[in-house]
Amino acid sequence: MKTLRLKLLVLLMLALPTAAWAQRGDAVYVEDRLNQIQQSLMTLTGQLEQLQYRNQQLQQQMEKMQADYEYRLDTLEKGGNAGPRPAAAPTPTPAAGGANLAASAPPTRGGPQGEALYHAAFKLLQDGDYAGAERGFRTFVQQNPQHVLAGNAQYWLGETYYARRDYQNAMVAFAEGYKTYKTSPKGPDNLLKLGVTLAVLNKKQEACAVFARFLQDYPRATDLQKRRIDQERQKNGCG
Amino acid sequence: MMIPHRRTVLFAAASAVLAAPAARAQLTIDMTKPSFEPVPIAIVDLQGDPVGAQMATVIRNNLQNSGLFRSIPPGSFIEKNVGASAPPRFPDWRQVGAAGLVVGSVAQSGGSIKVDFRLWDVIAGAQATGLSFTSQASNWRRLSHIISDAIYKRVTGEEGYFDTRVAYVSETGPLNNRVKRIAIMDQDGANNRYITDGATIAITPRFSPTLQEIVYMAFGENKGPPRVYLQNVDSGRRELMGNFPGMSFAPRFSPDGSRIAMSLSQDGRTNLFEMDVRGRSQRRLTNSPAIDTSPCYSSDGSQIVFNSDRGGSQQLYVMPSGGGGERRISFGEGRYATPVWSPRGDYIAFTKISSGGFGIGIMRPDGSGERLLANGYLVEGPTWAPNGRVLMFFRQQRGGGVGLAAIDVTGRFERTVPTPTEASDPAWSPLIPQ
Amino acid sequence: MQTIKAIAAIGALMFIAACSSNTNTASMEPPSASTSVAPGSIGDFRQNVGDRVYFDTDMSSIRADGRDTLAKQAEWLKRYTNYPITIEGKCDERGTREYNLALGERRANAARQYLVAQGIPASRIKTISYGKERPEAVGSDEGAWARNRVAITALE
Repeated sequence: MKTLRLKLLVLLMLALPTAAWAQRGDAVYVEDRLNQIQQSLMTLTGQLEQLQYRNQQLQQQMEKMQADYEYRLDTLEKGGNAGPRPAAAPTPTPAAGGANLAASAPPTRGGPQGEALYHAAFKLLQDGDYAGAERGFRTFVQQNPQHVLAGNAQYWLGETYYARRDYQNAMVAFAEGYKTYKTSPKGPDNLLKLGVTLAVLNKKQEACAVFARFLQDYPRATDLQKRRIDQERQKNGCG
Repeated sequence: MMIPHRRTVLFAAASAVLAAPAARAQLTIDMTKPSFEPVPIAIVDLQGDPVGAQMATVIRNNLQNSGLFRSIPPGSFIEKNVGASAPPRFPDWRQVGAAGLVVGSVAQSGGSIKVDFRLWDVIAGAQATGLSFTSQASNWRRLSHIISDAIYKRVTGEEGYFDTRVAYVSETGPLNNRVKRIAIMDQDGANNRYITDGATIAITPRFSPTLQEIVYMAFGENKGPPRVYLQNVDSGRRELMGNFPGMSFAPRFSPDGSRIAMSLSQDGRTNLFEMDVRGRSQRRLTNSPAIDTSPCYSSDGSQIVFNSDRGGSQQLYVMPSGGGGERRISFGEGRYATPVWSPRGDYIAFTKISSGGFGIGIMRPDGSGERLLANGYLVEGPTWAPNGRVLMFFRQQRGGGVGLAAIDVTGRFERTVPTPTEASDPAWSPLIPQ
Repeated sequence: MQTIKAIAAIGALMFIAACSSNTNTASMEPPSASTSVAPGSIGDFRQNVGDRVYFDTDMSSIRADGRDTLAKQAEWLKRYTNYPITIEGKCDERGTREYNLALGERRANAARQYLVAQGIPASRIKTISYGKERPEAVGSDEGAWARNRVAITALE
């Protein structure tokens, strides 16, 4: 009996301080761990934001590169030289509406000077200066409506609006592109994007009609484009 | 009363109008062009009363300081004492190289002042713009600013920003125990006066859209936590905005003045809240374990940009003004802070902190097109002129010494803004309501 | 037999306790020659315990040296319970004003949580942040910046 009490006493004396120590140590430990976890969480949040941003950048870049490759392949197929510039010099055209544009860009007679304008606008597009790109492409199309790049410019004009969520103007630009430059290398993209824009504007019927036209007009479209059309038709419940 | 009350500036007549579209090339300036020459302009002392010379001085300083004009020294004028009543001798003014000529006359009687002014297009030999108005005589400085704004608008096609005020933090005393008080002054440094008494540190002032009130943060007495106060500029009456358990700071008015966004700190977390100025109801805008602060409403009030370190370092985020859906917009090197939406909506100005020091920059609201305008050991806290063409900020030298500076959005002209004491944390007012 | 063992164990335990408390006291109190402050006074706390912990740039996590200081602070504050405590958070000048106010609060709060974790009642500790508005050291060099990234345990 006595020994038991003593044993208990000893145990208590041993246990009490350790429990107090453990408790105190634990609280500090938990505090430390919480802080570390919080810190890692913030670092991870930052990394996630960076990755999402880079992903978005890459996606945009890829879309542009793909468009560029398609253009080059297309020129190759037509027997042109595959450089970034089209081989065939377009017939000089009187600048339509050149008078009111004289202020914003030097008057051009098509050819290399016009091309410089196209490439400058494309550079602006890549830099995300959509308003600047819009001005550039619009000027280019107005001044060089017969240029081999005019269809491309018309398509990218639509893209400058689309990127800014100005779907109304995007629709008009893509529709114009389809009407005027149906056979341009960007024709299929143009029609596809017209349908997508119509869908965004909640004009499902018109969108479906456009997607339906696609295979009819462009039987030789790329697989990627065809797949995209299928996806879009499905997404918008086209019959 | 030092501060003119609303509607005391009576526009008896906004007479005279644009003329001579033919040869106005020399008297216009396109600020969007990559380079341009300042417009040479001659400003003649307004005739008829001694105050006319003082008014001309105010106008010369305003225009010269904008960086868009070159004020021709009056000593070189050939034609003297030309007033508003008769056309000037244009050949004399062409000879001194002026593109524009400002003349006017003043008459005072019984505490009121009558001013006529004309801006002549010297090249075209025709009047470009003109105004005449009557007001209290004590308003002569404001009238000079209004004339400056009319000239600026006629030449640049943009609204002016001279008839405005600046609230700022006046700093005096030793660096480790500074007295920091809220002060307001005219945009050109005149009519300086203090809004707080300096008993406790007060910082980050912001004007209400009517300029009748200032909201700011001040420490409490006896180690009381910082809180947000709303103070009437004329009466001096001040009210505590909300009674929160922790520190409340970084207050900003919504563009319509009905709401105030601010930061509240508690338990190491700092989040954004919004408070209704009249009803005092409050609601939470963000809920993050990090520091969310320095909010700023977009000019249409629909969005808020702020800085947060939720991603490990200070970056800029945009969200709808009701909260939720925060989106990071800054991805460059370094830390980004104190975002301010331009009144035009086209840019967000910010403070950037990188290994090379501090910078003041602008970017588009989607985060693209970043451009640095000014840099130094410590530059901080940009604020926009109401026309969105000029930024004011503060610059601290190594080892102390702070003052205000202004720079235009092209980054071409930086100048020191004079203040009676050392100064920091400027807040530019909207145009004073007329 | 068992009783003796037990007593010996108790004795040993107490001896250890005495030793450790001796070393504790020794480490807390500087040689008596330079001691001019009364034990339990604010001066004693500042001089012999250390009233401030320092932080790395733009950080609010307690460093190892700060952890030691806060442990000593907790011991002292548990012994002398009559002081209300305010922890003042501060920052160096190389941050923006408003962010630094919040960062100072986070630093003060980090120190406070440490003291609470070591048994100081939360109700006894207030925090306040001065951001970069009230620097401890004047200057624009690493020395001054380091002294200004601080949480100061101030006793009334």
